[in-house]
Amino acid sequence: MTALRTTALLAQWQLRRQAQFMPLLIVVQVFMAVATVVGYGLLVGDPDPEAALFLATGAPTITLVTVGLVMTPQMVAQARIEGSLDWMRTLPVPRWSFLAADLAVWTFIALPGMVLGVVAGALRFDVDLSPAPWLVPAALLVALTSAAVGYAMATVLAPQLAMVLTQALVFIVLLFSPVSFPRERMPQWLQTAHEFAPVEPMAQLIRAGLAQDAFTVPGRSMLVLGLWCVFAVVGASAALRRRA
Amino acid sequence: MDSTTLRIRGLRKRYKGRAGVQANDGIDLEVPAGSVVGLLGHNGAGKTTLVNQVVGLVLPDQGTIEVCGVDAIARPQRARELVSVQAQANVPITGLSPRRAIELVGRIRGAERSVVRRRTEELLDALDLGQWADTPAQKVSGGVARLTAFAMTTVVPGRLVVLDEPTNDVDPVRRRVLWAQIRGLADEGAAVLLVTHNVREAERVVDHLAVLDRGRVVAAGSPSELTATVHGALTIELDLVHDAAPHWPAVVTPVSHGHQRAVGTVAAERAADVVGWAQREVEGGRLDRYALVPASLEDVYVQLVGAEPTTPAADEGTIAAGVDLTTSAEEIVR
Repeated sequence: MTALRTTALLAQWQLRRQAQFMPLLIVVQVFMAVATVVGYGLLVGDPDPEAALFLATGAPTITLVTVGLVMTPQMVAQARIEGSLDWMRTLPVPRWSFLAADLAVWTFIALPGMVLGVVAGALRFDVDLSPAPWLVPAALLVALTSAAVGYAMATVLAPQLAMVLTQALVFIVLLFSPVSFPRERMPQWLQTAHEFAPVEPMAQLIRAGLAQDAFTVPGRSMLVLGLWCVFAVVGASAALRRRA
Repeated sequence: MDSTTLRIRGLRKRYKGRAGVQANDGIDLEVPAGSVVGLLGHNGAGKTTLVNQVVGLVLPDQGTIEVCGVDAIARPQRARELVSVQAQANVPITGLSPRRAIELVGRIRGAERSVVRRRTEELLDALDLGQWADTPAQKVSGGVARLTAFAMTTVVPGRLVVLDEPTNDVDPVRRRVLWAQIRGLADEGAAVLLVTHNVREAERVVDHLAVLDRGRVVAAGSPSELTATVHGALTIELDLVHDAAPHWPAVVTPVSHGHQRAVGTVAAERAADVVGWAQREVEGGRLDRYALVPASLEDVYVQLVGAEPTTPAADEGTIAAGVDLTTSAEEIVR
């Protein structure tokens, strides 16, 4: 109970620290989510219904992964550079609270974009969605896994290196991951690589959550994602507990 | 019951890597409840490393750290509950106001909202921050930010309070208030570890001192114990008209000279001679000003660890201290 209260207060701290730029951040998030849908639409022209459904249901995954892998580690790297993280770490707060608080803040910031991205996709491509009841926990699992990976990265690597790496990752996720297009379009070696990476299972999970009539999640993907989640959360917690 | 809040024994820490710095090299230190212990030392003497080990941010290679009897190395989370720290660098609180930042930290440290609110108000009042209490932090001066950081640390003070250069950037008037607050923390039962290189000001509030140099404690004791070696000696400080070295009378041992300032020491019983000489120099237009002061802890400190490049903060300290010293010089002349 105390730990939850502390986490909420920590989240409040982080949220208020972003308050000045919050409206802008949310606008940019919305813009990115909608642009992913509309922009891909421009790239592929007038997609057939199947491709359209892929695009519309891939956008929220892109947003969630971007938040976890880019925004969260950038915030951590920034806090390390300006020196506030070290001081925050002297507070009697469970180490995982830092991860949970940042994750909550960024998920909150990303939420409007995620929802509007889905709406924009459904309108633009005129697709029928059939949301599953487990969509929200699934989205949280995806957010947690990607944020934990990002967090571990930002805590272990030099801050500047972490910032550059996150930029590279977003590029890979946007263009070279089977999120907004089917995996068959990628070369074989990349398909194989994605069988062990967390991004494709994330996309499959969100896709099936949004359109359960059209998609299902393979058991193997759930296993891969589950392993990544455990691995990433354990890694991030260890990184946060690490003593120089 | 054992009243020692912080007990450090044989603490060693070496940072690996190319440079391979031995930051702490066998440190023993105790901070009893209800007292202020000053930890003096140059930049790089190992002070911050020591603090970071107490709160579990850095892992020692050897030695023990106990906070209220708790093994801080094995149970860093418990140690953090018992310790509150003001870091040397100001914690950026952009987006928050001083009041909001202080209150949030107080609540994160586990206190009730009403208690935190009352204590925050007291601190804002005591440190004369009312005017800036609700100003966004990005618009407040360095001094106000420093005092806010102090209040964030002491709003819900730990049994051990660690203050790393709390007076940096703080104006002379609020500095006095701040020292009183620090003393007050100890009087209420906290153990205060004051990390500083502002020797002159620290001297007046600390009960005990440890001087750190290259990761070792090179001297420890009360201010009067440490200054015992220079008892009976006085320091004469000159503001020169020209940059040329002064023609000291034979009874003075020259210490330093530069930037139109010169310092020497003299035995107390010969002070009258030196004052007579200095007064004639002033009247002859060769000297702007002089002051005769008791040889201080700073002199002992410099003897122990050597001079360090002057920082702006240390400069301010000298000026602030200078006001008091003039009074004591007058007393000596009388």
